[in-house]
Amino acid sequence: MLGNLAEFFGKGSNIAFFIFALFAIGGAVFMISFNRVVQMVTAMAFTFLSLAGLYVLLEAEFVAFVQVLIYAGAVTILMIFGIVMTRHDREEEVPRRPLHSVLLGLGSLALFVVIYIAIRQTAFPQGTFEAGEDNTLELGQLIFNQYVIPFELMSVLLTVAFIGAIILAKREED
Amino acid sequence: MVITPYLTLGAILFCIGLYGALSKKNAVIVLLSIELMLNASNLNLIAFARFGANPSLTGQIFSLFTITIAAAEVAVGIAILIMLFRNKGTADVNEMDSLKESQQQRPM
Amino acid sequence: MASVYSQYAWLIPLFPLLAFLVLTAFGRQMQTLGAYIATGCVLVSFVLSLFVCGERLGGNAQGYTWNNFEWLKAGNLSVSAGFEVNNLNALMLVIVTLVSLLVMIYSRGYMHGDERITVFYAYVSLFTFSMLGLVIAENLLLLYIFWELVGVCSFLLIGFWYHKPEAKAAAKKAFIVTRVGDVGLFLAILLLFWYMPGHSLDFTSIHNAMSDGKIAGHIATWIAILIFIGAIGKSGQFPLHTWLPDAMEGPTPISALIHAATMVAAGVYLVARTYDVFSASPAALAVVAAIGGFTAIFAATIGIAQNDIKRILAYSTVSQLGYMMMALGIGAYAAAIFHLFTHAFFKALLFLAAGSVIHAVQTQDINEMGGLAGKMKTTAWTFAVGALALSGIVPFSGFWSKDAILAEAFRHNMPLFWVGLIAAFFTAFYMSRLFFLVFAGEKRSNREAHESPASMTVPLIVLAVLAAFSGFVFTPFNDGFGVWLTGQEAADHANAIVMVLSTVAGVAGIALGWLMYGKKSIARDAVSGKVPWLHTLIYRKYYIDELYDAVIVKPLKGVGVALRAFDVYVVDGIVRLCAAAGFGLGKLGARLQNGQVQAYGLIMLLGMIILTVALMGRRFI
Repeated sequence: MLGNLAEFFGKGSNIAFFIFALFAIGGAVFMISFNRVVQMVTAMAFTFLSLAGLYVLLEAEFVAFVQVLIYAGAVTILMIFGIVMTRHDREEEVPRRPLHSVLLGLGSLALFVVIYIAIRQTAFPQGTFEAGEDNTLELGQLIFNQYVIPFELMSVLLTVAFIGAIILAKREED
Repeated sequence: MVITPYLTLGAILFCIGLYGALSKKNAVIVLLSIELMLNASNLNLIAFARFGANPSLTGQIFSLFTITIAAAEVAVGIAILIMLFRNKGTADVNEMDSLKESQQQRPM
Repeated sequence: MASVYSQYAWLIPLFPLLAFLVLTAFGRQMQTLGAYIATGCVLVSFVLSLFVCGERLGGNAQGYTWNNFEWLKAGNLSVSAGFEVNNLNALMLVIVTLVSLLVMIYSRGYMHGDERITVFYAYVSLFTFSMLGLVIAENLLLLYIFWELVGVCSFLLIGFWYHKPEAKAAAKKAFIVTRVGDVGLFLAILLLFWYMPGHSLDFTSIHNAMSDGKIAGHIATWIAILIFIGAIGKSGQFPLHTWLPDAMEGPTPISALIHAATMVAAGVYLVARTYDVFSASPAALAVVAAIGGFTAIFAATIGIAQNDIKRILAYSTVSQLGYMMMALGIGAYAAAIFHLFTHAFFKALLFLAAGSVIHAVQTQDINEMGGLAGKMKTTAWTFAVGALALSGIVPFSGFWSKDAILAEAFRHNMPLFWVGLIAAFFTAFYMSRLFFLVFAGEKRSNREAHESPASMTVPLIVLAVLAAFSGFVFTPFNDGFGVWLTGQEAADHANAIVMVLSTVAGVAGIALGWLMYGKKSIARDAVSGKVPWLHTLIYRKYYIDELYDAVIVKPLKGVGVALRAFDVYVVDGIVRLCAAAGFGLGKLGARLQNGQVQAYGLIMLLGMIILTVALMGRRFI
């Protein structure tokens, strides 16, 4: 097994994967375990950035860029806005629900084990991947030729969403 | 390089996000955990786009759309949360229990 | 000689039953008309019984049995029901209907003004029906049913004035104590059913089986003793005698009817009817005689210290029934039935006369009575006739019947003869004590006594005539009764020694009573003052009631309390536990519906895991 490990860390991409994965998981775990909401959001942003790195490793540069822009940027700021608008205490109190927490921990662990076993048991057929010259160009061609209708629908959805959000969050006139 | 490390990482992130979504008290943190779960599924998509049976860019496009939807959902979610906060005065998910049955004790 | 009227004997119980049904249905509107209906029905039954008995008096009539009604059928077993008329039955029919008729006429005066008078007559009619049914029942099972029914009527009538707590307690006591005896009878029926060839329970088959010796000796002993236990309960023999004195809480007419003349005679009748079983077992006969003799003297001693007029008569009844059992035990079948016949008349007479006295002075304590002979002449002289008959003074009926018993005892069993003689002395003593304290001397009561109305005095006179003259049917000089009843020539002849001794005992008792209570030359407490403990012992009935209470009643009540606690805490507890479990589970389930999304999400997660593992897990294990 140690031989496998040494062979694994021989390749550079594996080291990079390992580091990014560590940061991602670390950020997630810290998010769960921190007490103050702002710290939680910061940890989450860290995870988003690590995921962007992983996307680069997976030769999805444009998606990595979008991930940083949208998640680590917009979503995190929105969360902070949400926290600012809705808080009356700074601390996240630890809820006293031991049964709930225990069952939940067990449930999540069980879910992970099930998925892990499924992953281990499956023989994934591996096809060949032709990486194009320019990921953004390729993506753009795909979107505006084959997937233009979902693209348009997406814009409609975004419009509806932001109108809805504005109406919802509008203060009452009187 | 095989796909399984990425899938495993996705599973780990998903489970952590599930735990956070079902156990945190502040509604904003619940939304954040849901975002983590969406991210984990995105990672799966991209990984299969690279290493799967038919590697192509479709998976990446799929994940772009997912990111878009997630962003919209966060926006609307925060808006709802702000409105709820105005009505109830708290952002505690345990206080949002209107689905509960009414408290009439039926005598035996 | 053909039995013409015997075929219609089944009608005899039905007239009182009809009266009962009519009175129960329409009694409320009827009031005194109900009394006339009941009396009329019993009169019809009496006339019919006279015909049935009369045609048998010729002496050669066969017993008539009709049992064509198939009552129960289970597989190969079939029990039929029907009636039987023989000489013993016919005599009992006449006794029961006659006394019942006189009591009903008497009650018209005694219970006048009672608002539940139709209920009273309904119960008395039901009792008459049950007693008549018992008498002509053709098999033991049918007899047992009527036996129980008679017990129920006794219960109802003792507790007739149910607002009196003593009456309620007495009714319960009567029913429970006789029930203890009835268990014995029931076991005997079961044993007979088991051992009789063909599982038949009718008296003809029993007679045949016993005379053929089909049933082994020791089984017959057991059966006989168990039957006798039933008779002990019903006839108030020791040790189940305690209910009879307490039964005096009921109205006096029914004390006369039930607890003097008829129901308590049912025990004697039962032994007589199943006498074939007893004859097959000398041991059982010895038991019967011993208990009968003991009861006779035991009850007589208690009677001399009581102060309640009805209780003295009740103990007298117990004692006289002891005489009858003793007679049956020593084989004097005819003498026992003859004593039953005469006792019915003079004891009913004594009770009804006592009722007349109670009606006049409104008290039952003889120490509060006195000097009533002047105002209540009819009552006084009829009571005197009854007392003389009971004491066994010639030529009244009691003399002849008691003499028959004592003569048989003299011949067969000397110890029992002396027991009977001493009991006769005591009997005479307490009767004369009673008579002198009530009717002679100076008036001790505050009330003005007056003679009772005709409806009450006419039955007294009729009974007095019967008590005086009915004895002549069976004297040592004329054994027609004995021959008629048993079909055998009476083997004995007049026994002068016995007659003299019994007369001496009777006269001595009366004389002592007169000296102590009439002339007062001996002080009342001449004996009791010297041995007060003896007087207390007798007065408190040898503390038997207290003994039963401590040994039987209190432990049973304790068991009852324990069982009730078991019922409330364990049985009820289990029921409540089931309900609480359901409720608790429901509440537990309600906690899932707390409206919190995170809880719902958790449940969904767990459910999904379980489903996944259940569906897919087989592949990996």
